[in-house]
Amino acid sequence: MKKFFALQVCAVLLISGALGGMFALTPVYDEVRSGIVLVLCLSCLKLEPKTLADFTFETVDNQPHPGFVLENLSHGPVFLHYSGDACAGCDVMYPVVKDLFSIDYGKQDMFHSIVSFENSSVAYIYVNIHHTTPELRSAQPIYDKDHVAGIPMFTIVTLGYDNGKVKPKYTTLYGTLATYGCNTDAQRLVFLQQLLRESIDMYNENEAGYPHHS
Amino acid sequence: MKLQVKRLISQVILFFSANLGYPGYPGLKTGFCYPFFYCQACPAATSACPLRSLEQSVDQGSFTWRLFLFPLLIIGFLGVLTGRAVCAWACPIGLLQRGTGRVARKVKKTPLARKLGAQKAEKYFRYTKYALLISLVFVTSYLIGFIFTDICPVGFLTGTIPVLILNPGKFVPNFFFPVALVIFALFIVLIFLIERGWCRYFCPVGALLGPFNKISFLHIAVDAKECVHCNVCSYECPMGIDVPNMHRDPECILCGKCVTACPNELITFEGRGR
Repeated sequence: MKKFFALQVCAVLLISGALGGMFALTPVYDEVRSGIVLVLCLSCLKLEPKTLADFTFETVDNQPHPGFVLENLSHGPVFLHYSGDACAGCDVMYPVVKDLFSIDYGKQDMFHSIVSFENSSVAYIYVNIHHTTPELRSAQPIYDKDHVAGIPMFTIVTLGYDNGKVKPKYTTLYGTLATYGCNTDAQRLVFLQQLLRESIDMYNENEAGYPHHS
Repeated sequence: MKLQVKRLISQVILFFSANLGYPGYPGLKTGFCYPFFYCQACPAATSACPLRSLEQSVDQGSFTWRLFLFPLLIIGFLGVLTGRAVCAWACPIGLLQRGTGRVARKVKKTPLARKLGAQKAEKYFRYTKYALLISLVFVTSYLIGFIFTDICPVGFLTGTIPVLILNPGKFVPNFFFPVALVIFALFIVLIFLIERGWCRYFCPVGALLGPFNKISFLHIAVDAKECVHCNVCSYECPMGIDVPNMHRDPECILCGKCVTACPNELITFEGRGR
């Protein structure tokens, strides 16, 4: 009887000591909180976010995401806008995107800013492929998921939940968005606004579990 | 106050405590693991499902010892103190099954149920939960990836359904949804047909807690010398245990129904000793 009681006491001391030690000496509490509790577990839900455009984790040829995208992803979703000179589609989309973020820049500028969209931060990067750096230019094929190799091209990189891990997830749109039934500037603006909202929702649902999140 | 009323109050309080995480109401999100089966995908969940942490600890050939030990230690701590009492006094799925138990008890009286309950195989079927714990929580996570969370009926009940109600049109079913829906339907049928059917046969958290009954301070003790084997206790037991012959049974959830039922008061809660 006494031996059994001693065993019970030893067990409770050992377990409580180990548990206390884990709390004191390891980041397990924060790991569980940020990696499991605060992230919306889509596996547990057996659901996928419903989005206007298809988001994917796989970049073209599984190339790594460019460093500048990952850096900006700590602020919010990244909106990459590829444009160029002498491009009719680009001329259509240029004012629509300026309206989307209420910003102003020249068509041949290199423009990068953390902009506010409905009280959320979005990293907006404008790339005129004829007036840009090799780093920004070389990122275009990485996100050219339909192998169009054309402009205008829009990529929204956000965060997604992939079987227990939070990773960058993106979608790419091409042209004047006619494939999505957008034929007027107003329709294009509404479409992009809705897609951005969805991207921000996905970002917020997964932000806590993103390894680069500080 | 009657013991079963106290247990109900405990279950209700702990149900609300487990659901203090809804944003703003009050939005308490902690880094603990629940010591029972509840899903962190529930919009109001405060903590993580212990199985999720265990799955993540062995995800696709990796091993993260912190995520492995943390839920085991939380469960172990309560397990050594109170054995599997968590299942009867705290678990929200236990509370749900308490609600469906009335129907299950009526089903239990049918000749077919009696016949099936008398089968020797029934007690071996209880090992299913250990097999599920090892195969679906550990082995598949290590070799393939998360499978249990993809089909978990408790996640469906506490996560999928509330999320779909609160966010209409925002989500679409994934590949596993139809399978999970069928399993969820079977789960509902099970808990209406068999009292504590989920706890008896399938709950992997129960499988983690069960062995602690062997060494826990709190346990149910039967005075076998004085027992007249009227079997009222066994009839009342929601886990279908042969109570007069029970000694620290891993299936016992310490609900205390046998304690209340014994006409000679020979069954008691004990705080220490064998």
